[in-house]
Amino acid sequence: MKVIIKRWHAVAQWRWDTGVSSDDGDEEGDVCGICRVPFEGCCPSCKVPGDDCPLIWGECTHVFHMHCLLRWIGTAASNQQCPMDRRPWVTAERKVKNLVPGAGAAAPSAS
Amino acid sequence: MDARLRRVNKEIADCKNDKTSNITLDLVDNSPFHLKGSFPGPEDTPYQGGIFEVDILIPDAYPFQPVKMKFTTKVYHPNVSSASGAICLDILKDAWSPVLTLKSTLISLQSLLCSPEPNDPQDAEVAKHYTTSKGSFEETARYWTHIYAGGPGTKQSKGSAGRDEVAIAGLEQAHVDQFESLGFPRNKVIDVLRRLNYRGANVAQIPEDRIVEELLKV
Ligand SMILES: [Zn+2]
Ligand SMILES: [Zn+2]
Ligand SMILES: [Zn+2]
Repeated sequence: MKVIIKRWHAVAQWRWDTGVSSDDGDEEGDVCGICRVPFEGCCPSCKVPGDDCPLIWGECTHVFHMHCLLRWIGTAASNQQCPMDRRPWVTAERKVKNLVPGAGAAAPSAS
Repeated sequence: MDARLRRVNKEIADCKNDKTSNITLDLVDNSPFHLKGSFPGPEDTPYQGGIFEVDILIPDAYPFQPVKMKFTTKVYHPNVSSASGAICLDILKDAWSPVLTLKSTLISLQSLLCSPEPNDPQDAEVAKHYTTSKGSFEETARYWTHIYAGGPGTKQSKGSAGRDEVAIAGLEQAHVDQFESLGFPRNKVIDVLRRLNYRGANVAQIPEDRIVEELLKV
């Protein structure tokens, strides 16, 4: 079957609340440091951004795509350390709030 | 498009857009996984004025595995092999992190030129030169920057046509002449004096007999 999209209505826009403001001039702020893809997009091993490709926060406050971080932590070379500060990685419990209205209840519980 | 390719393409573009760092990244034979990087030698070092080129290979598991880098411009530095350009730097080995980029790694190489670590050498002979006679080491490093990296001339190179093998080895003309006059071939004298680190305070430590003994070997 072939579907041709003739028209679409955008009803909502969502973004992860990373705790980092995108207007503070820091271009790196909204990009996963491991894959360099913006947090709004998904990690390179996923096709669709959203709940299936959540973010993960460390106690050190650094944020990554969960899949990217887990792949790094899975390598022997990582020594289970945060790629940013080389402190032992400890996942922080964090609820995602302040999603732009219209978005689903996306609350990645990383544990 | 695979993740590695996407990230590398982005890094190359970011580097092109950044006009302030003076770091360049260029493709070698059309593959984005084999690159040539370059950066200017840091100011107030013997590398000032030179442009240093680095061969860059992106491994399959990049960025989860460190990028492979080596100097293709000859560098006289304790942490760089004077023969192969191999580099001894922690982030290229066990201190690698996937958040490092080609640009940040090249900037680290630039800082390595500012702050040699002779206690963790890649080139033991150069490291010995550095620790025993820093002034002479810097003169040699400056000469290498001049002849290999396009840096400004030094006092040795003034008026002399071609490359001065004695200056490349970081030795004194008079010392080489002295042993050459005993009938030994010049290149052999240079080789032995360099190996024995016949420089600075070391000259008084090494008896001439010891040198002659070495020269008679092989
Ligand atoms: Zn990522
Ligand atoms: Zn993912
Ligand atoms: Zn961290």
